[in-house]
Amino acid sequence: MSTAQPAPAREPAWSLSRSAISLWVAQGVVATVVEALVVAALIVFVPSDAGVWTVLVRWVAPVVVLVTAVVDIGVQPRLRYRVHRWEVTADAVYTLTGWLNRTWTLVPISRIQTVDVNRGLVQQLFGLATVAVLTASSQGTVRIPHLEVEVARRVAEDLARRAEQVRDEAT
Amino acid sequence: MSDPAAPPVQRTSRWVLLLHTITFRQARALVPAVLGLGAARGFDGGTVTVVVLVVGVTLLSLLWATLSWWRFSYAVGESSVVVTRGLLSRSVRTVPLDRVRGVEVEAPALHRLFGLVRLKVDAAAGSVGATGEELVVDGVTRAEGDRLRALLLVARLPPARGRHAASAELDPDVPQDHDEVVTRFDPRWLLYSPLVGGYLAVPLAAFGALFRLLEEVPDRFVPDLDRPGLPDGTLAALVLAGGLVLLVGGSVAGSAVVNWRFRLVRRGGSLIATRGLVTRRHTELEIDRIRGCTVSQGVGMRLVGAARASALVTGLGDAARRGQLLPLGPQDQAWALADRLVEPTGPLRRHPAAARRRSVVRGVVPGVLVLVAGVALTALAGWWPLLVTGAVLTALGVPLGLARHAATGHATGPRSFAVRSGWLVREHVVLQRRAVVGWQVSQSFFQRRGGLATVLACVGAGSGGYAARDMAADEAADFARAASGSWADTLSPAR
Repeated sequence: MSTAQPAPAREPAWSLSRSAISLWVAQGVVATVVEALVVAALIVFVPSDAGVWTVLVRWVAPVVVLVTAVVDIGVQPRLRYRVHRWEVTADAVYTLTGWLNRTWTLVPISRIQTVDVNRGLVQQLFGLATVAVLTASSQGTVRIPHLEVEVARRVAEDLARRAEQVRDEAT
Repeated sequence: MSDPAAPPVQRTSRWVLLLHTITFRQARALVPAVLGLGAARGFDGGTVTVVVLVVGVTLLSLLWATLSWWRFSYAVGESSVVVTRGLLSRSVRTVPLDRVRGVEVEAPALHRLFGLVRLKVDAAAGSVGATGEELVVDGVTRAEGDRLRALLLVARLPPARGRHAASAELDPDVPQDHDEVVTRFDPRWLLYSPLVGGYLAVPLAAFGALFRLLEEVPDRFVPDLDRPGLPDGTLAALVLAGGLVLLVGGSVAGSAVVNWRFRLVRRGGSLIATRGLVTRRHTELEIDRIRGCTVSQGVGMRLVGAARASALVTGLGDAARRGQLLPLGPQDQAWALADRLVEPTGPLRRHPAAARRRSVVRGVVPGVLVLVAGVALTALAGWWPLLVTGAVLTALGVPLGLARHAATGHATGPRSFAVRSGWLVREHVVLQRRAVVGWQVSQSFFQRRGGLATVLACVGAGSGGYAARDMAADEAADFARAASGSWADTLSPAR
């Protein structure tokens, strides 16, 4: 990483649940298994006299799978955990997401329209939930991924209540 | 409405049956099935089969139209409008009047023949975009249409004017005393049309349809044209010139059909746009809900100083078309209009040198990829045209990147802010500070190295977000703060 350049925005205060790392690792493992199966199938079905294709399938594809496995399982979850942060301030919801590319999202509580709590299949295994804060803009949605279920529920309730109190036109 | 307690349930005009039968409005869905059936069985039954088919489909269409008409009703009450419809499953939709954002009265050619209009009601919705949010009442008489429009919009009128004033409003096409004409379309502006991509597409699409039709015509009907005895060069030149004339004429005609007698008037708290030659459209925008304006100019339009202006309105469906304030005209007019609705900002701030480098790199990359492939092909197979194409594309990428960078910029004013981008179509967006419902600052890996960031203002109008790409990273937080409010201070890095 280059270090000289300052970030364009402040870092939100709070980090996610540590279970998020396990979840990302699990996702990486699943993706790797699927990729490995596809490559294995290709190795079986592509004949050995197909020239360039044989080389691609037998040597290049496994290497690619191996590299992505290392990145997806070993590097990306920890890096993501270091980057991902969130915060609810007195008048706004603020998140930072991504790992290579980063996105800071800020939505004032007065412009919140609805607050959802979503629990995906894998998230349920790790006791996590995502809080989605929706505004009048299709692009102005804040998602706080992978919070502990209890935390997510409390945050959502709190935000919905406060939005009700301070809402102006919300558009 | 005479009795506010129980608003009378009303139906659309009976003439709409005829209208929908002729246009196969509901039966249109059946056409592919019928064609499929016909193709499977073969159309070789001759005239009888065709007649039977036509009569059958028409009867079906009539039946369907009757059923839909019979099952459709509407009622405008004191506080809400209720529309009931559905052939098998009943759907009852209730829209509170205070959520009605706009009413569009449309009179397509056939409707006009029967003296009918079609009403489209925009009801406010959270995330704009779905056309399903719109309520359509198709086929009421002109007078009833105007009455409905007035009733639906009554909730937005100041109480002093009251209901009577509202229902007294007449045909929108007829000017009234208190109207102020904001823009009147000058027919000479139609000459700009050939330079606008959208209008150029009109004759091209027509050509396409014509050629497809020609291919369908059996060979024996096609006249056997002899090649005229002209040298090849002359013929090619003639065809080219003819095509060009048709293209220019077609685009002017297409634009004339859509924009004919465009007029923008201000009536009370609304802007009303009327336009169209065949289908006369009438759109009403509430000035209070306007959050910003865009002035967009394509490459060709910039050459002659033409522009198009649109308003960004919250809760407006099909915003690109309905928000238009000036479909085509001189840029001075477009700017005057935009400045009138949204306080102008100062001149734009350009983005830093790192942004220019990045823009050039982005412009050149596709060319370089082709070039590399070309080098490989030349070395392996001795096939060089790709190499040349790659070199040309790479060379063209540099001016393209520079031009794209020159188009970007941002500015903040006391009550508004602006972002501009795009080379093929340059879009200058001016937004009110209150329009912002959120900020999204993003930084890709490469942007981080260059000290750049993209700042997206999330807005509940128009396309939902407007970005200033590649601004200096350390300006991002200040820009957001200046363009929205103190709540955006949260972004400011601790200093």
